[in-house]
Amino acid sequence: MDSDSTAPQRIAHREGRRWRLPAMPDRALPALAVALGYYLAAQLGFLLTLHPHPISTLWPPNALLLAALLLAPTRAWWWLLAAVLPAHLAVELQSGVPIAMVLGWYVSNCSEALIGAGLVRTFVPGILRLDSLRNVGIFILCAVLAAPLLSSFLDAAFVRMLAWSDAGYWDLVRSRIPANVLAELTVAPLILTWAAFDPSQLRRVSVARCAEFAALFAGLVLVSVAVFDRPAFAASPALFYLPLPFLLWAAVRVGLAGTANALALLTIVVIWGAVHGLGPFAAHAPKEIAHEMQLFLCAVAVPLLLLAVALEQGERVGRDAHEQRRQLTHLSRVAMLGELSGGIAHELNQPLTAILANAQAGQHFLANKSAPPGALAEILQDIIVADQRAGDVIRRLHTLFKRGETQFVSIDANELVREVLAIVRGDLVMRSVELVTQLGDTLPPVRGDRVELQQVLLNLVMNACEAMSAATPPGSRQLTVRTRIADGGARITVTDTGPGFAPEEYEQLFEPFYTTKPQGLGLGLSLSRAIMRAHRGRLWGSGSPGKGASFHILLPAFHAQR
Amino acid sequence: MPYIAIVDDEEPVRKALKRLLVASGFEVDSYASGAEFLATQRQPSPDCLILDLHMPGMSGLQVLDALKGSGRELPTVIITAYDAPELSAQCRAAGVSAFLRKPLDERVLLNSISSSLARATAGRGDPSLRR
Repeated sequence: MDSDSTAPQRIAHREGRRWRLPAMPDRALPALAVALGYYLAAQLGFLLTLHPHPISTLWPPNALLLAALLLAPTRAWWWLLAAVLPAHLAVELQSGVPIAMVLGWYVSNCSEALIGAGLVRTFVPGILRLDSLRNVGIFILCAVLAAPLLSSFLDAAFVRMLAWSDAGYWDLVRSRIPANVLAELTVAPLILTWAAFDPSQLRRVSVARCAEFAALFAGLVLVSVAVFDRPAFAASPALFYLPLPFLLWAAVRVGLAGTANALALLTIVVIWGAVHGLGPFAAHAPKEIAHEMQLFLCAVAVPLLLLAVALEQGERVGRDAHEQRRQLTHLSRVAMLGELSGGIAHELNQPLTAILANAQAGQHFLANKSAPPGALAEILQDIIVADQRAGDVIRRLHTLFKRGETQFVSIDANELVREVLAIVRGDLVMRSVELVTQLGDTLPPVRGDRVELQQVLLNLVMNACEAMSAATPPGSRQLTVRTRIADGGARITVTDTGPGFAPEEYEQLFEPFYTTKPQGLGLGLSLSRAIMRAHRGRLWGSGSPGKGASFHILLPAFHAQR
Repeated sequence: MPYIAIVDDEEPVRKALKRLLVASGFEVDSYASGAEFLATQRQPSPDCLILDLHMPGMSGLQVLDALKGSGRELPTVIITAYDAPELSAQCRAAGVSAFLRKPLDERVLLNSISSSLARATAGRGDPSLRR
């Protein structure tokens, strides 16, 4: 289908050259967005101005410009500052302000954003992310406090110099600071957190979480409107704290982004009420209204922002620690592969030998036409069985060594023991270790990550084998693996006939980097204990020198943990 | 027909090797462990022993020691699913004819058996004449 808009393209093609939009510099689009945002923010600032004596309660354009500078590379700042000039002129000239004053305010507004962004960037190079207490602290000190304070001296000087107001210099300074501090506290974090938002995260948000967000913000708006947008006589100062549970809910459950959004909502509701003569602040004189309201909102915003980021930081530290433990656990498993390589080769070469010898025997029978009845069918069946055995070895190893998320499932402790013993079977044979298994009947199922529990058990078995290989003559090497019900759960005990340890040495064995092996890293048992803790289970050792060592795993029953 | 004894704890391996050697024209007996083999009183003794190195209970080297101790030394081909340099040296020191890694190449296995038999024949006369 042709349309008018495609006509130039068709003409251009006919003329033998491509028609395209004139190239737009990379910075033009963000600059346009900032200019538009500045214009709308200024209009919002006017809407939230107290009348009849115009007192600004919240002045968002400066905070918006500051946030834009914090998100932009320093070399692009001049471009953004230039872009907001037309927006500034468009807003201010509409209200009949003389051009000199308009330009004076442009300079003071830009200076506020520049001071704030410059100071923040001095301490936090690069794009500011409000993801640590340090960064939020620097943001509050530099952008929220220092920038409005310092720029207000300049702003008041312009106003006095151009005789725009009769108010005294210090009165002008005092009245400008809170509106800008409040804007920096509420608007800038809102923009910075939205800029850091990754839309792909939305796919991972569950329906329950969405419902929680909806309940949180609906509750906050309802309560805030009920407290701050009712007639002044009906609003009690004691009700100021009604939105606090919702704000804390946002800080605890949604983090800094949720808190920034909640604070912005609260600020708009509170100021809208006051501007319209509603809420607990409306009973005061206009100047007091602005002052009290700004003080209240700042007093709420600062601790909440700090609380939210502290909680997020703590959660991230916990997540990082968990991830590091997971990586270390996986690395330790991979390192175990080296120790198991001999046994693995042994276990794979057995079925391969059977397959090859069977196939060659079959070739002989076919070449000589000498196959006994049914022999070829039997050979093929044996090849299939041997091949499946080799496949099982590889599958078990793949399961053990692949990297995956921890998955807690119901596990049969006896099955776990059998799986691990199948992996180490070759090693036991090679080390001339006699295996004794005493698996208890009717063990309760336990809850755990199969791979991690295999790793723990494998570590205990390999340690036992190494201890015996080093100090026990071949005929006396015996590994006993027992399972039984204990404390309502399942207990697995691995006992060797190695040299054992002194009773006081057992706890040392679980310390990181403590090892009795010449080539050991000393991480196996400490990681195993960490894994057992994550399973709400226990791992400990017992025995005495010369009588072998026993290591015990206690896993709580599956139902006990739900 | 030369008589071969196979000692290997792995039943599928034992069965497949026996099949291969029977198809190659040998008379073959197989045993699941060194103890089972040592306990057998079958006469005459095998002309060649195919002995697995790593087995639960008695290892291949222990079987060789026991044979030596009882004066029943046999031409032996050691087979192993896991090879380490020191193992090969230990086995050769124990007087084995060949040290082979699993999986076994048929040609190498048959050559090793032939060499063992030839060496034994050179030392003791033709084994087929003794049977």
